[in-house]
Amino acid sequence: MPDVKAQVRVRPLDELDIGSITQIDERITGIYRPEVWERRVGYYLRRDPESSQVAEVEGKVVGFMLGDVRAGEFGLESPSGWIERFGIHPDYRGRDIGRQMFDAMLRHFRSTGATTVRTLVDEGDDAVAGFLGALGFIPSPLKALEAPIPAT
Amino acid sequence: MHVENVTLEKKFHDAVEHWRRHWLPDYDLLLENWDKYFPKDEPFCLCAKMEIGTPDVVSIGEHAGEKKRVKPDQLTEEEARHLLAIIRAQASTEFGSIQQHAGTLARAQDDEDRYWVLRVMAEELRHGYQMFHLLLSQDWSKASAGVRGEDMVEDVLSMGTGSHVLDAFNLEYDSFIDNICFAAFIDRVGKYQLTMQKVCAYKPMADSMPPMLREEAFHLAAGVIPMRRWAKRAAEGSPFISMEAMQKSVNKWFPRALEMFGDERGGESNLRFGFKDMKNREAQDLYIEEVRRMLRDINMRFLRARFPNRALDQVEVLLDRLEEDRGRHDGVAYEDLLRLPDRRFFRRKGEPAFTMVGTEGQGFDDPESYLTYLATQLADGYMASRDLAVYAGALREVASGQLSVADAMKRMPKLKRVGGTCPCSKSVRWVVDEPAPNGH
Repeated sequence: MPDVKAQVRVRPLDELDIGSITQIDERITGIYRPEVWERRVGYYLRRDPESSQVAEVEGKVVGFMLGDVRAGEFGLESPSGWIERFGIHPDYRGRDIGRQMFDAMLRHFRSTGATTVRTLVDEGDDAVAGFLGALGFIPSPLKALEAPIPAT
Repeated sequence: MHVENVTLEKKFHDAVEHWRRHWLPDYDLLLENWDKYFPKDEPFCLCAKMEIGTPDVVSIGEHAGEKKRVKPDQLTEEEARHLLAIIRAQASTEFGSIQQHAGTLARAQDDEDRYWVLRVMAEELRHGYQMFHLLLSQDWSKASAGVRGEDMVEDVLSMGTGSHVLDAFNLEYDSFIDNICFAAFIDRVGKYQLTMQKVCAYKPMADSMPPMLREEAFHLAAGVIPMRRWAKRAAEGSPFISMEAMQKSVNKWFPRALEMFGDERGGESNLRFGFKDMKNREAQDLYIEEVRRMLRDINMRFLRARFPNRALDQVEVLLDRLEEDRGRHDGVAYEDLLRLPDRRFFRRKGEPAFTMVGTEGQGFDDPESYLTYLATQLADGYMASRDLAVYAGALREVASGQLSVADAMKRMPKLKRVGGTCPCSKSVRWVVDEPAPNGH
């Protein structure tokens, strides 16, 4: 079992975290999908390498939170911080690791001039919705909509 | 995080553009396809990017607590000379890597890999441009013995593979594998240097580092991600890539990467002047540990692809066993994995220069057996290069006592362009140049 008193270190994401993120995702979902994380980590590192954060305990990556700063999408001209993906190794939950990564992301978002942080959540996912609510997220007037594309 | 974009005076900007047309002919193609390969990313800007709001006070060295210097005249002559050498070397690496990448870029099997490297090349061009801004925006005459900024720019633009300041930038690539391994190994040293220089007591240098570091993060990804994908393909039996081919490229670049930190015993001046926050050996040690992690990560990718039905924990145990006993388990040998060479392997600068040490740390007694051994550890194309021939000559003379190690380090010849800055000029000759300054 991990040492619950061990220090958590939060730092920006780097390219050597791909393997650890893949493993955390596999622990959570049961699916091994390195290609997905190679693509996503490559995306964040080329766009905004200081936004995304990982959490380490005793040198091991145990959590990640990926996002970036964007402007000009959906009519939102001023820059917003976006949080897209996050995960915490099941053995390390309940240690405020998600909050610490979120705070680090907020610090970076603030330094870029962003005043709002946004994300999307599946309404049926109570655990994730609860976590985001605890971080201070509230329902946005901007509503996510979707429609099926009819087959031709 | 606020950044000011600065453009060089037109004649210097044009000189960089002219150089770019020779060495980065696919630049326009990159810009045309930018949105296809890098959707939503900021468009590329050939400009110097200066971070605003970095610390004003020196944090390290004998000037700690004082206000950072903003003009070369505020540095002592020794400090200014030292910093000028760092800037010149940094500029040389940026332009040098583009020339190296250009040689084998078109051989990439995958268009995405090719465009990633093209973006890396364009950003290296910007980094070189950034160093030119540092050279041209201030008067360095106190430190340059009267050499004008524009002469220094011309000097750097006239360098080619063979005449750059650091050895790693004087080696031709043998295949596209070198493009990728170079990004994973040599750009990683760049990350260390830029990170160390974030504290620089000369503020314009410190202000240059954060924007360059942001771009460097992608350069490292452009090395590691293709290596991970290649490891998977190798495990699946692809005839186009093998772990052995990657290992030979690792063996080529890792020794040169270590030498980019400067002699293991040095780096004191950088600390004293407040230009960097680590000595050479300290930074090199951290780098080695990071590269070890990188190779383990790639090996894990290899083994997961080799044993797709095994659970993560089982594969981790297998990798641990292979690393521990260096044996063979479940049909996989330790030699099938990527291995970090001994830090003394194939060194020609620094503390272990011209010692004959193998990748596993084994010693060799005579140069002929060592060179025969090297032929098993390096790619055939590289073994047949002028670089290896020169190294072999120096090694034989060192071993026979005809040449001291110190003289051998200085003696590595370089290809010098003598006909002006434009690569249209073919006036080149081999000369023995001064060694690279320590510490970068």
